[in-house]
Amino acid sequence: MSTFLATFLVVHVISGVIGIFLFGGVALNALKQKPSLKTLKWFSFLGFLSLMISWTISGGYYYVTYYGKAVKPIIQAGATPWIHSVIMESKEHIFLFLPFAAFLAMFIFWFYGESLAEKPKLKSAVAVTSLLITIIGIAVILAGISISGAASIK
Amino acid sequence: MDWYTFLIIIHLIGTVLGVGGATFAEIFYFKAKKDGVIEPLEVDYLRTAYFVLRIGLFILIISGFGFLLFYRLIGAGEVLLNQKLWAKLGIVVILVFNAFLIQAKKIPMWLGASVSLTSWYGALVLGAWRTLDASFTSIIIVYIIAVFIMAGILEIVRRLLKIPKY
Repeated sequence: MSTFLATFLVVHVISGVIGIFLFGGVALNALKQKPSLKTLKWFSFLGFLSLMISWTISGGYYYVTYYGKAVKPIIQAGATPWIHSVIMESKEHIFLFLPFAAFLAMFIFWFYGESLAEKPKLKSAVAVTSLLITIIGIAVILAGISISGAASIK
Repeated sequence: MDWYTFLIIIHLIGTVLGVGGATFAEIFYFKAKKDGVIEPLEVDYLRTAYFVLRIGLFILIISGFGFLLFYRLIGAGEVLLNQKLWAKLGIVVILVFNAFLIQAKKIPMWLGASVSLTSWYGALVLGAWRTLDASFTSIIIVYIIAVFIMAGILEIVRRLLKIPKY
């Protein structure tokens, strides 16, 4: 793997983990009786930004230019081909929920944040959305670890 | 300094802050509860301990992924399928969801406190015990037993110090 692609892989992983961690913070804060709107706004904005960087700039490029021709054949020929056919195939579709759900949560905090106290249903809906982003994100992270591991088994 | 040493140092800092934060959060909570009333200054101490704990968790997770990337990029990625690593990941995931359950008040405090402390110390032990050769299942079984032992210890401490129930 070239240094360029290795850098993309590092950015993909670290920005993805930061995005999920920030949405974990959003969910924790949103579950409070009196959440800090400033924290919710900035954590959701930075979380969305991190997930976009992980998806488009780094992950997308890595996937299109390297994964298919260099990593996938190794996994398919190795001891755990199901890690590509089940885990990777699931990951590359399920992760798509994350940037869109993150955008939705961020949008609500920035444009309806002031009225969340008077709208408990909206507040709990956006808290659940943030929690789902965290849960799906953790599943995607664990999938990524197993894919990287399977790509290294000779 | 090479990348590996750098990651070790950062990972240790995260562990120290996390384990220390979790320990002091419990100590401050017990001290605050002793007279039955949690005063504003005590709330402030608790918030500080939780803040330190979360900073520790963030550093620990980022440096942990630094390690995983390091192993992947030096061609030792088979470590990523190691059962001890997955047990550690499982414990960290439990730790994260425990925080959500405590915040949402969906878990009894005695159990939440025990899960938090056991998870932090469990992750510390798994990280430090390099020669441990155990399966995922056996580590998780020991972890579950340890959660209830920790709950028992916390209950004994609570009774000895005559602290009101959670």
